[in-house]
This record gives sequence, structure tokens and C-alpha cells, in this order.
Amino acid sequence: MELPVQQFRTKAEQDLLDLYERSADALPGSAAIAALRQSAIRTYAGLGLPHRRVEAWKYTDLRGRIDEIPPLLAEADVQVGESELEAALGKAVLTLPAYRIVLAAGEFRGDLSDVGALRDEGVELGSLAQMLEQPPAWLTASLESGAARDDNVVIALNSALMTGGVGVRLPEGLTLQKPIHLIHLDAPGRPGSIYTRNVLVAEEGASATLFESFGTLGGQGIQRNAVTTVSLGAKSAVHHIKLQREAVETIHLNVWAADVGAEARYNGFQVSMGAALARNEVHVRFDGAGGATDISGATLARGSQHCDTTLVVEHNVPACESRELFKLVLNEEARGVFQGKIVVAKDAQKTDGKQMSQALLLSERAEFDSKPELEIYADDVVCGHGATSGQIDEELLFYLRARGLPEAEARALLIQAFVGEVFEALDDESIGDALAAVSAEWLGTPMEQAGP
Amino acid sequence: MLEIKNLHATVDGREILKGLDLTVPAGEVHAIMGPNGSGKSTLSYVLAGKEDYEVTDGTITWKGENLLDMDPEERAAAGVFLAFQYPMEIPGVATMTFLRSAVNAVRKARGQEEFSTPDFLRIVKEKAKLLKIDMAMLRRPLNVGFSGGEKKRNEILQMSLLEPDLCILDETDSGLDIDALRIVSEGVNALRSPERSMLVITHYQRLLNYIVPDRVHVLSKGRVARSGGPELALELEKSGYADYGQDEASAA
Ligand SMILES: Nc1ncnc2c1ncn2[C@@H]1O[C@H](COP(=O)(O)OP(=O)(O)O)[C@@H](O)[C@H]1O
Ligand SMILES: [Mg+2]
Repeated sequence: MELPVQQFRTKAEQDLLDLYERSADALPGSAAIAALRQSAIRTYAGLGLPHRRVEAWKYTDLRGRIDEIPPLLAEADVQVGESELEAALGKAVLTLPAYRIVLAAGEFRGDLSDVGALRDEGVELGSLAQMLEQPPAWLTASLESGAARDDNVVIALNSALMTGGVGVRLPEGLTLQKPIHLIHLDAPGRPGSIYTRNVLVAEEGASATLFESFGTLGGQGIQRNAVTTVSLGAKSAVHHIKLQREAVETIHLNVWAADVGAEARYNGFQVSMGAALARNEVHVRFDGAGGATDISGATLARGSQHCDTTLVVEHNVPACESRELFKLVLNEEARGVFQGKIVVAKDAQKTDGKQMSQALLLSERAEFDSKPELEIYADDVVCGHGATSGQIDEELLFYLRARGLPEAEARALLIQAFVGEVFEALDDESIGDALAAVSAEWLGTPMEQAGP
Repeated sequence: MLEIKNLHATVDGREILKGLDLTVPAGEVHAIMGPNGSGKSTLSYVLAGKEDYEVTDGTITWKGENLLDMDPEERAAAGVFLAFQYPMEIPGVATMTFLRSAVNAVRKARGQEEFSTPDFLRIVKEKAKLLKIDMAMLRRPLNVGFSGGEKKRNEILQMSLLEPDLCILDETDSGLDIDALRIVSEGVNALRSPERSMLVITHYQRLLNYIVPDRVHVLSKGRVARSGGPELALELEKSGYADYGQDEASAA
């Protein structure tokens, strides 16, 4: 294969090309999909792994962080039962009322998934690997076009190497009463790479909640690349929620890309607490007037964890609204990154875009980097952004201690209060409560403190 | 009994309390009056254990123990309660959650059993009613968006729930209209008992019509300049604090 010339490749960069070469024949998909993979690996070869001089990766040096590329884990044959699921995600999350879909080491596990129940509701769905063999038009369209496709290394690698995932299509007007809970697991023991691609298409007027959780079965040296594209027809609504509690050594690369139709609503919510390095990208592109999006979440990091949240909202059409609120709690040497870009095209008048990120630093060594970017080409818009970073307020701490709360408990309550705001804003209350419970556990507070 | 002897305290390296002596026997209510900037709030913070207030000399004994050795939460458990001049707002913490955490923490430290949820709710309801506090208010984040009067009533509610025996009220009357003043005073008077000592800090005599003190002390330039009976408050009402000067640096 002819590849674009790159001046210099690190071992890991070359390993990725070799991994593709070795695996290409066995990767699932039709001839058209194989061609798509070829073109994607070429895109990657031209870009290499991103590093600090790439503006969008200013604070996350992926090239410097990855030394080796482990083999694909697609055929890992992982043992998964209820007890494994519970260990990976916690009981509160696992028992949420939902249609369950399980991806173990990237492999779609029909035996553990509520496929029948979803089909009964009228949902079209299947294992991505199978669908790629004879992709329906909606799937091909989602793979080939949409927000954030060009020059996105994570997506390019994903397109080249995707082995599993799920394709879901909600027909016109369908409202799913329960969320779809998409569970991503790793595999215990040996290092491995997992490339999953999920495609969600909501036709006109359809609405659903997609909850993606990432849990560990004891993975070591896992490199995960997970991409989900969401295509929202006119007046549809998708609530897209994520809980990431990967193994501590994992490298977690995740992209959500949503194309939002006229008067449609796309809400994203992400809680990140696992992985050594996590990069969460959310790209939202408005394709029809009157759309709305709200992207929020919480990052909880400690030790030497690095968590990067990068949002890009493209207002290409008039009268769309975007809201972003992220809270970060950073302890020890953890590093949190928040990059928020709002692009307002010339014709996108009456755009309303607001963005806020707030970090609570629990240690002097923790670091928060925030980079808002507003690119505004229209004149009649309301856009704003803000970022704050601070320590626990000593005055508040004294007030609580003067009321008898021991210092540790008072601190925990204040941290809980700091992040609590984002959970309260979550529309789905039962998921919000479960996620708040998981974060409270991380903060070391008994649930008592989280609500009366 | 509270015994303060030769208390010197500094903030940011500046001496605010300069040899203060004060004794409050069990069961008595003492008023502390004085011009703005004379160190009244400083005294209350030193008693409650605020960290940035450094005691450079003197002693504070509470029920025979050295108060200065204790952390703020230990003082709360030992029965010290400060009703803040400016209660803190804490977004994200429901008032009810806060009350329950505080009460249970103090009970635990005192070796008492924690309240069950229904018991706790019943007790809060009872005490809130006396202070004309709406239960809906307690579901809101702590003090956020509360009016001045609501914040002060909330302080007294906390005081009645935590059952302290040294109650320090720092300008609880400021910002209260006459109705709120009456409600708050009734709440405070209901807590008067032979075991409880109270230190009522106020700039104005008005509050002392409702909470009648056993003794009145005038604080000036970081010391007790004069002590007397309730009539001293009335006298000050007429003459003002002119005789006691104002700390030069605190005119602002
Ligand atoms: N945190 C602080 N930092 C610096 N100066 C302070 C601080 N708190 C109080 N002071 C100063 O100490 C003096 C006494 O203040 P305060 O105790 O609040 O007086 P009062 O309550 O009698 O009005 C004032 O001059 C005030 O400016
Ligand atoms: Mg004062």
C-alpha cells in the first residue's frame, strides 16, 4: 500500500500501521468497508499520533504517552456474567432500568443483550461487525459523513481498525421509554487494543437515551478507541450519557460526533473517573435551524491521571442553542484539560452558545488547563465562556466544622456540592442519582451525604 | 462556665484583641456591645476556633478545659455554638442534608445515638415551626437566596438542634425587621436554661429589650472597657460609643 510520507515515525506510530497491515484481511466488512478502512489508515499515516504542537491536542501529548501498540482484543473470549458486570460497573449502575447491550473486549455479546426486547419496540439494531458485511444505507451514510470526520486521528484509526460495536436505528416517531445501556468491558490479563464503533440514527421525531458505560474486568495495558456517531433527524431527541471507569492503566480515546437536525435536541453527559489517560471528544454540528444541545459532565481524577475533555460545537445554521458545563475535581498530581470550541458560521444568526468549566484543585500539584475558543463569523449572536479554578473555600469549611462536621467529612460534603450541580441538571433522574452515587463513592463519602 | 483571661489575638499579623478578660457563669446571659471594629466578631471567631485568628497570649477555659487546644468540630461537640454574623451560603448542599450531617456528627462525638430519619424530620419540623421556618426553605441549598432574616432564623434553628451550652450570637439582630427580631428572640429565650451560657454580641440595645442580659460588657480597642447590669445598655443607647472611641484602623 502507498502511504503518505511522514518525516519520522515513533515506534508506536509504525506499530499502528503494522497492526492494520496484519489485521486488514481479518477485519469485518464488505469491499466498500475495506476501501473505507484503507482511506482511513492513509489519513492516519499522514497525521501520525497527535502531540502538543497540534493545536487540538495542546495539553495531551498522545505521541509522547504511547510507546507500544498491543494486539487487537477482538477474539478475547471473555467470561462475563452478572457478577463480572456488577464488579465492573457497581450495582447502582448495573441495576438501572434499561435495555442492555454488552460489548466485551469490543465484541457484541448478543447472549448478554436485550436484542429481542429492543426489536419488539421497533428498533433496528445489530452487531456492527455483522452489519459491516452488508451495511444498510443509513449505516454507510453515518460512517462516511458527518461532524468531525476530517483530520480526526481518533476517528481515522477507529475507521481503519473497528472490530465491533453496535448499530442502532430508531424509526420515525419512536420514543423509547427506557434507556439503552451500552456496556463496554475490557478483558482481564493481557494488554490489548479495543476499537469499537457505535452508530445511532434517530429518525424524525424519535427519542431515546443512550447510556454508555465503560468498566473493567481487570484489564492491564488496555488501549481503547471508541467512537459513537449520532445522527438526529428533525425534531428528534437523544440523551447521550457516559460513565467511564476504566482500569487505572488504560488509555481511553473516545469520540462522540452528533449531527443535529432541525429542532432536534442532543444532550451529552459524561462522568470520567478511570484510565491513566482519557481523551473525550464531543463534536456537535447543527445541520437544521432551531436545534439545541447541552453537553455537561464531571471529571474526577487523582494520582497521575490525565483527563482531557474537548468539545466542538459547530453552529452552521441559525437559531441553535448550545450549553456546556463541566466540573473537574483534581487531586494529587492529576491533570484535567477542558477545551471548548464554539464555531458560529456566517449565516448562523441568533446563535446562543454558552460554556463554563470549573475545576476544584484538592492538591497543590494538581493542574487544570482550560482553553476556550470562540470563532464567530455571524454578528447577531450571544456567546460566552468562562473557566474557574480554585481550592476548597476555607470559610465554608470553617462554617461546617463549627457545626460539628469533622474536617474530612466537611471537605467531602463541599466537593460533593461542587460537582452536585451537574448531576442535578441531568434530565434522567435515576441515571443522575446512580452517577452521583458512583461519584460520591469515588469521593469517599457515604451516600448519606449526597441527599437527605 | 467560660473563663477568658488576658486574651491577645492577631489577624494577618495585626493585634485585634489586646488583653481581654471575661467570665460567663453557667446559666447567665452576657451581652457584648461596642463600636464597629472593636473586635466583637474577632472574639466570637476565636471562641469558635477559626484558623486565621492566632491567639498570642492568654487562656480560654470552658467547663475547666482548655478551649484553645480543640479543633472547631471538637468545640462544637463540647457545646460551643456560634451564630454567625454572616452565615455562609453553600450551593449544592441541601439545608436539610446539612442539618442532619451536623446533628449526627455532634451526637456521635458526644456518644449519643444518631437520629433515625423519621425522628430527625419530626424534631426539625417542631423546631422550625417555633421559628416560623417553612419546610420548603430547608429543601433549598444552604442559605442560598435566603433573605437576611431567613439566614438568621436558620442559625437559631441550628442552635436549637445542636443543643449547645455556650451560645455565641454575633449581631443576630442586624438586618432583622421587628417581627423577625421578635421571632428570633423568642427562639433564643426558649433556649435559656440554668446549664446554658450565652454571649449576645450586638451593636444596638434594641435586641436586649427582648433578650434581657444578666451582664453587659463594653468592648473597646480589643478589651473589656466597662461592665455592668442591663442598665448599662440603656445608658449606651443614649450616649453612644463616643466615650469608647473607635479603633482608628477600622473606620471603614
Ligand atoms: N480576616 C481579617 N483580616 C484582617 N483584618 C480583620 C479581619 N477580621 C477582622 N479584622 C479587623 O479587626 C478589627 C476588628 O474587627 P471585628 O472583630 O470584625 O469587629 P466588630 O465585630 O467589633 O465590628 C477590625 O479593624 C477589622 O478590620
Ligand atoms: Mg462584627
